[in-house]
Amino acid sequence: MRPEPQRPSRPAPRGPRAPRLRLAAWAGLCLLAAGCAAGPRTTSRINRVQARSGEVWARDLGNALGLQPWELCAELGTRDCVEEAHRVTLGGVEPAELGIDAPLPEPSVSAPMAADRVAISACGERFARDKAGPALLFGPVLERDSRRRRAEVSEALVLRVLGRPAQPAELDALEALYDDIKDKADDPVRSWAVGACVVVTTSTEALFY
Amino acid sequence: MRSRRALLQQLSAFAGVGLASSLLNPKALAKGAQDPRFLIVLCATGGGSIIDGPLVVKRSESATPDALNTFPDDVVKEWQGSPFRAADLSMNSIGAIPAPFSTRPSAVLERHRAELMVATLTGTSVNHQIAERRSITGNEAFRGRTLQELVAWQYGAEVPIPNVHLLTGTGFNDSGTDATVPAWARRQVVSDPAIWPLSLHGTKGLERGLPADVLHSVRKIREQQFEPATRFAQIYGESPRLAEWARLRGAPQDRIEAMGLIEKLMVSEESPELPLSKFGLRSSGSAAAARAAFPNTATDRLHAQAALAFLLLKHGVSVSVTLGPDFGFSYAPGVSEGAGLPPDSVLNPPLGFDFSHQAHRAGQAVVWSRIYAVVDGLIGLLKAEPFAGGGSMWDRTLIYVATEFGRTKTRPAGAEDWGTGHDLNNGVAVFSPLVPGDTLRGGVDPDTCLTYGFDPETGDPDPGRSTAEAEVFSGLLGALGVDREDSGLPDVPALRRA
Repeated sequence: MRPEPQRPSRPAPRGPRAPRLRLAAWAGLCLLAAGCAAGPRTTSRINRVQARSGEVWARDLGNALGLQPWELCAELGTRDCVEEAHRVTLGGVEPAELGIDAPLPEPSVSAPMAADRVAISACGERFARDKAGPALLFGPVLERDSRRRRAEVSEALVLRVLGRPAQPAELDALEALYDDIKDKADDPVRSWAVGACVVVTTSTEALFY
Repeated sequence: MRSRRALLQQLSAFAGVGLASSLLNPKALAKGAQDPRFLIVLCATGGGSIIDGPLVVKRSESATPDALNTFPDDVVKEWQGSPFRAADLSMNSIGAIPAPFSTRPSAVLERHRAELMVATLTGTSVNHQIAERRSITGNEAFRGRTLQELVAWQYGAEVPIPNVHLLTGTGFNDSGTDATVPAWARRQVVSDPAIWPLSLHGTKGLERGLPADVLHSVRKIREQQFEPATRFAQIYGESPRLAEWARLRGAPQDRIEAMGLIEKLMVSEESPELPLSKFGLRSSGSAAAARAAFPNTATDRLHAQAALAFLLLKHGVSVSVTLGPDFGFSYAPGVSEGAGLPPDSVLNPPLGFDFSHQAHRAGQAVVWSRIYAVVDGLIGLLKAEPFAGGGSMWDRTLIYVATEFGRTKTRPAGAEDWGTGHDLNNGVAVFSPLVPGDTLRGGVDPDTCLTYGFDPETGDPDPGRSTAEAEVFSGLLGALGVDREDSGLPDVPALRRA
């Protein structure tokens, strides 16, 4: 699920006292908290993170990659990965036949592998379609592979999958993937394109909220 | 595994306790992993009545046989010196289901009664879900831990998926409530034994997969560079949920893929529905033997569960497996609508043992026969499987036929089939070389068809006593050699082999 557009930040309180009060409060907190010299805390104190069900994740995946849900992945060509083969593994429910009427509270040991399979299959399908044309996502590297064009694809991937602009360090990471595989892949363009797509679509930001 | 040991060391230090319990002692757990015991929880879902299983009561024994659940003497098979019986039945229907059937439980008991122990039991709930849970926790007797978790904890520190549940949606599959049970010892649910193995590799068997070394790079970049750069991971990096996800992506995943479990656990054979070879996969090398023991793996979920349970134990993937018939109606392959139901075509009546509400005698007979067939198949397979340290895998396995409760003992005068309700009074069957064989702990009063208890120390029958869930739970843990230090559980030596 893509994050909703950011709400406008709350308007600053009016009046001359507000900034001073905020400053005083911040100073007080700094006195109490260790490490205040490093600036405001950037980690969550609550850490309330939930897993997206496979169904929700796959719907976002399909939207990002321009694929229908049934086009994402089919095990052995016959079993829909998300609806059937890995439904419960990926946090889905199956009350009618299996009596599983709530997502399993703990992730299955095979869930990360199942997520990789769905993503590899879906990204591979997108790459094959782009190659056959017209291209939706991987066009720049299919036309001519270069660092700049890979960055274009990386930016599009992050925007389409995570619904936000890519950060420079993220682009560097995806470029580093190319350096890592260029000598070991038979088809470096495909391996990088599908691989970068898998990195983004199976990142914790894509799988959890 | 090193990380698990480290975790346990931290846990014991945090808990401020010594290492009196081997469950908190990494060295003891490592030793346990080299000398494991295996637990098979075979769930008699719906209320398997022990007096329709190995403790049937003959008509001639009872003062009021027409009013009670007794069997005609001529269908009851007995063995000299054995407390067990079997009722071989043939009937023309299963209640309203016009499906003739014949059962021969005597054949299974003939083969395996020497390793059968029955312990009588009086439960505390006639609610399915609650009673199921109590059958695996001894009514929360050991800090809410389940039998399966304890066996996985004691013996599964070195295996990749110690505690697998192949049956779903019942209280037999509940997780325990003790947060100190390590995450790796908790249940892993398998919803479809036929295709679950496909989730045990990130790319193998995919039509448009990635080469293994490329996938390795993808994962490395994702986890070491991309994710740490995201604001999401920076903010929520300390989330326990993300920490668990990271753990699963690490050693467990590497181990499962390296072991080739996607193929080693592939129960299914090549078929048009599962074209394995087209995707570079093949059926497990041991699956043929499993399918010979459980021939309906393609159509009967219980057979598929049993076949996979064997493969999980054989390949050192698990030390505890939970399986059983569910509440669904299933019938033999080849039966078509409108063509009538040939003999023995009903594999599982609707509601499993709970079909007894409609047709007690037939429902119990059909599902007990199903349970016995799984016991027979698993024992045969495990006996044929040598254990690395000597002997067979069966020598260190315990099959616990868990159930919720018994059934009411009365019937309309002389009825050949009738409906029954739930009754707390019952007993459990345990097949294992680890328990006293051909042994009944407790007994049955033929004039009431109610079971009575036994002395936990000596095992002598005691008509004035009933057995509590916690006693059976503790007795099974004792037979399996699970450490009960500081558990507060009663000792029940009568349920373990001397």
